[in-house]
Amino acid sequence: MFAFSPSRPSPSPELLARLRPVSLAKSRTLPLGEPWRALVPGGGLRRGSTVAVEAPVGWGGLSLALSLVAEASAQGHWTAVVGVDDPGVVAIAELGVDLRRVLFVPRPRGAWAEAAADLLDGVDLVLVHPPSRTGHRAARRLMDRVRERGTVLIALSEPRAAWPLPVDLSFRVTRAEWVASTRLEARYLTVLVGGRGEAARGRERVVVVPNRRGRAEAT
Amino acid sequence: MEQLLAIWVERLSLEQPDGSTLRDTLALFDALDALCPFTEVVRLGLYVLPLRGPSRFLGGDDAVLRAVRQVVLDVAGAPPKLGVAEGLFCAELAAHCELVVPLGGSDAFRRAQPLDVLGRKDLTTTCQRLGLYTLGAFADLEPARVAERFNQHALMLHRVARGELAELEGQRDVRLARRLARLRGGDGRLEEQSGFFGQRGAADDRAEAAAHRVRRRLGPQAIVVASLRGGRSPEDRAALVPWGSPLANVRDTAPWPGQLAAPSPATTLAHPVPLQLRDGANRAVTLSARGALSGEPAHVLFSSPLCREVVWYAGPWPLVERWWSRRRRRAHLQLVLATGEALLAVAESSRWWLVGIYD
Repeated sequence: MFAFSPSRPSPSPELLARLRPVSLAKSRTLPLGEPWRALVPGGGLRRGSTVAVEAPVGWGGLSLALSLVAEASAQGHWTAVVGVDDPGVVAIAELGVDLRRVLFVPRPRGAWAEAAADLLDGVDLVLVHPPSRTGHRAARRLMDRVRERGTVLIALSEPRAAWPLPVDLSFRVTRAEWVASTRLEARYLTVLVGGRGEAARGRERVVVVPNRRGRAEAT
Repeated sequence: MEQLLAIWVERLSLEQPDGSTLRDTLALFDALDALCPFTEVVRLGLYVLPLRGPSRFLGGDDAVLRAVRQVVLDVAGAPPKLGVAEGLFCAELAAHCELVVPLGGSDAFRRAQPLDVLGRKDLTTTCQRLGLYTLGAFADLEPARVAERFNQHALMLHRVARGELAELEGQRDVRLARRLARLRGGDGRLEEQSGFFGQRGAADDRAEAAAHRVRRRLGPQAIVVASLRGGRSPEDRAALVPWGSPLANVRDTAPWPGQLAAPSPATTLAHPVPLQLRDGANRAVTLSARGALSGEPAHVLFSSPLCREVVWYAGPWPLVERWWSRRRRRAHLQLVLATGEALLAVAESSRWWLVGIYD
């Protein structure tokens, strides 16, 4: 406001036309695919932010977390998956993740936080599933590192071992229901989307993860 | 573990400044690749290929050894040292001794090796002072005792000695595949193999550096990459290999009749867990030779105390593969439990196994 007040010489129109913000908002977010683009404030994952995905065992937490990664991965971003012991490679590909740019650390045992920290320096998204309850200090250290590196951390946990610190964006699965005919067809997940800022209002949404092609979609 | 044929070509192990070594390495790779499409260049001078496939094709292990020896003589102009054993570490040792270790004998073979094959002088001398001369004696030490005296790297060597890791760190030259691809100049299969890092940008370099760090921290098998290959069931279609192995990116997405339809389980167990299925009258549910169930599954029993109610199931879908072998008769079953979990189970050798969780 002050920069362009009449008391100061305003920049020439040619210069104004060429001015750009230091970094484009678009380059500071990673893209989200369907159905999340419409459900998350800003329509993307902000770099430097931490996302928590919380679901009881077998209620689609892993599929949901992977569906958050899919669009960014398809657009050429690197992903690391730490602590998912037996990744279902076919399902991950069905969700739209590009396997050529995914590094898996399936059984990091006690060193999951160190492995995640190492990978935060090199990839754009880190999906981490801590094998046990995460301590405050480990979580704080990782989140600081994420902010500093401009990566996105997606922490997958169960309600009884939830991520110990408040996060920028959270997805809590409160209900999971399968639709089946002669085979499993689709799973309807009721997800509470919350977090900081605009996301803080917290809305319950129903999404399909996976649908009958193995992808995530809106209802 | 799989029997590997290691091929050691002394002449190609030292790089000449004129670049001839790389060219000859590539020429020999092409020749061996024609013999077995799963041939890998582990590092300069060392090639490895799985023995079973070519052995079936050429009519026996000896025929493969003869054919490989002839190919190396023709292409590289020098006789190779050949060795067969399970796992890359043992296979290379076998090649240096020119031995064929029979299937199941690799454990004993590895344990009889002297300690200096691990390539760490301080460890060898310290252990010798303790009266430990062989890998076997070293392997019998408690891991905690090893950790007390040595660093992380020695613990990894200890795991190699115990047979928990199949290869030494540094045994593979992870950059070689890319150098060879570059030499080839753009096209060809090797290019696609290293295509994991093909058309590289700064982001790929950063990811590679991070992967190196994790590998140094957790060991050579800790970081893996995935690809799809042909097959019917999700567990067959997934290929997970340690990061850095040149075959990391063979993608095969050709249509495959009889595939289990999407959605696939987000967790596919590398080691299936046995489970029991019971019908309403608490009788075991079995799969008949014709692929029918003996009753409707009502309960799933994991290890004895854990019993879950089944609310819905679909299948069985038989997988008719190698139908002449009774043991290969398999069938898949999808189950939804009262807790909301969905599972993929498979019947094999008249037992049920949990192979996937729709997590």
